[in-house]
Amino acid sequence: MATGFLTDTTVCIGCKACEVACKQWNQLPADGYELTGDSYDNTKQLSGTTWRHVAFIENPKKRRLTGDVDLVALAEDVTEPLPGGAELDALGRWAFMSDVCKHCVAAPCQQACPTGSIIRNEFDNVYIQPDICNGCGYCVPACPYGVITKVPHDGRAFKCTLCYDRQKDGLEPACAKACPTESIQFGEVEDLKARAEERVQELHDKGYTQAYVWGTPEVGGTGGIGGNHAKFILMDEPETYNLPRHPFLPQEKVKGGVIASAVAATVLGAVVALAFRD
Amino acid sequence: MGEATRDQVQRSNGKVETSHHPETDQKRDDKNYYGIPPIKRAHWTWQIPIYFWLGGIGAGTQLFATIAQLLGHKDEALKRVSRYTVLATMLLSPVLLIWDLGRPERFYNMLRILKLRSPMSTQSWSLFAFGNLGGLVAARQAAEDGLLGDNTLSRLVIRLVPDRLLNVLALPFGLFVGFNTGNLISATSVPIWARNWMLMGPTFLTSGLSTALSWLSLVLHLGRWGEAKTLRILHRAEKATILMEAALIAASLIRMGRWSKPLFSKEVAPLFVGGTLLGGVLAPFVLLSGEERRSRSMLASVLALAGGLAFRSSLILAGRQSADDPEAYFTFASGESAPQPEDNV
Repeated sequence: MATGFLTDTTVCIGCKACEVACKQWNQLPADGYELTGDSYDNTKQLSGTTWRHVAFIENPKKRRLTGDVDLVALAEDVTEPLPGGAELDALGRWAFMSDVCKHCVAAPCQQACPTGSIIRNEFDNVYIQPDICNGCGYCVPACPYGVITKVPHDGRAFKCTLCYDRQKDGLEPACAKACPTESIQFGEVEDLKARAEERVQELHDKGYTQAYVWGTPEVGGTGGIGGNHAKFILMDEPETYNLPRHPFLPQEKVKGGVIASAVAATVLGAVVALAFRD
Repeated sequence: MGEATRDQVQRSNGKVETSHHPETDQKRDDKNYYGIPPIKRAHWTWQIPIYFWLGGIGAGTQLFATIAQLLGHKDEALKRVSRYTVLATMLLSPVLLIWDLGRPERFYNMLRILKLRSPMSTQSWSLFAFGNLGGLVAARQAAEDGLLGDNTLSRLVIRLVPDRLLNVLALPFGLFVGFNTGNLISATSVPIWARNWMLMGPTFLTSGLSTALSWLSLVLHLGRWGEAKTLRILHRAEKATILMEAALIAASLIRMGRWSKPLFSKEVAPLFVGGTLLGGVLAPFVLLSGEERRSRSMLASVLALAGGLAFRSSLILAGRQSADDPEAYFTFASGESAPQPEDNV
């Protein structure tokens, strides 16, 4: 059985309850008081001490409200022509997205890990065993989504465990439990996939044709990664949410690199041997 | 909507003005999130380029010394210098690597499993094998040189350690250490490194050999130990290797394409253009091409050695910039540029 997340950004209200719940349950340290000055988002990104991160996106294309704007109609999700020739575009003026470890089907961090600290547990989640990690940090640049970092003062690398401890006791992860709008849904990957497709269809029917699922083998999980167990329903281009469109599995090319290098080594050996000829 | 707001909307040509209006905010036109890097850079600082450099010297030395031994080239000084060089690089490398760990006391977990897909894992194992085999050969050399004293142990080491066999066994591991330093940085999500997956290993190995030959010739010149024939061979090999290195760096730059930009940034260009291309490749080649003299050869060696270190440092620094640049990563991970499973060598 594989478990995962479905994060539906269309209903996220940016309350950050998931961030707080994650920090509390996993006893993660604070990241300091840093104000970005960019937006209301001051945690900026995922890291070894921030395992859920809510992105606050303001997009001019999406926030054009022209004419006589009926705010009640906006709140009620109406997309038909509005009185007075007003036009509404997309779901309001903010886009929120609660980012998390993608729990890749073929995880680059796991393949990079030289100690075998990063494993797939019985729920098919990518999990770092903290008693084995020696802090080499090689998983950090390997991750195509910038999820893992080494934690200063501790030395080891950390990331979302998909609340391994809670799952073992039959509970859902802290972030999903805390989410008030069901933007974060937890469940079996197959179920979530069906639910995601259903929701995207529903959005399409309502006229939001830009909605799509990110984290499938086609989008967001390409190049050998084979899809993600944490999927997202997005309304804009992946880059807007700081996500790559076609990430790749960096270890895919290890064998090719070794073959090319072995050829080079042979050539160099021959060159050196030739130098011995008088 | 209140009367006042309605008036304001009509006056502003139908557009609603809010306090968060982004139309003047340049950042909103970028296809990224406030310029925050979408991937995280490697934490590596000075220990890693120095390790790459030492590993390359060890690998190149092993290659030259083993071929010399197999071809029956007898030069005691070369043999001695090369064996102690391998020992020294293989003693220093683990120290630097363990220093770099977040939890140095757990370094032995590197040998907990063998994972062929993880260059970090294969690197640890090949260092382990190369270091031990090279160490045994160096122990025999020490015994022959009388460093272990005149006793039974020393005679036993000379009798029992088959240096020829061990050298041949150590060679593939040594070469692996040499080129895998390049493959190790390629197997990441950092555009400038990942893009050059095919040539990174060969370039690092060739550069490693050029630093190793320079080191050997420098030491043999300094001590006035080397036979004239050995120095001549080293000179020839150095020239050929530097040429190959130049060709591989040029090919790598072409392969990296637009993602090679960090190498020419204000921070890295002095190391890459000045230290590597001009100081570490062009200058030694010019010096070696001229009349063969001790001082010229020694200067060329020093420059090539410094160039090798500059090359590795510049690539690590460039990788940092490449990872921090959202535009570089998004253009890289948006289409055909990133390595794909169906690509072949």
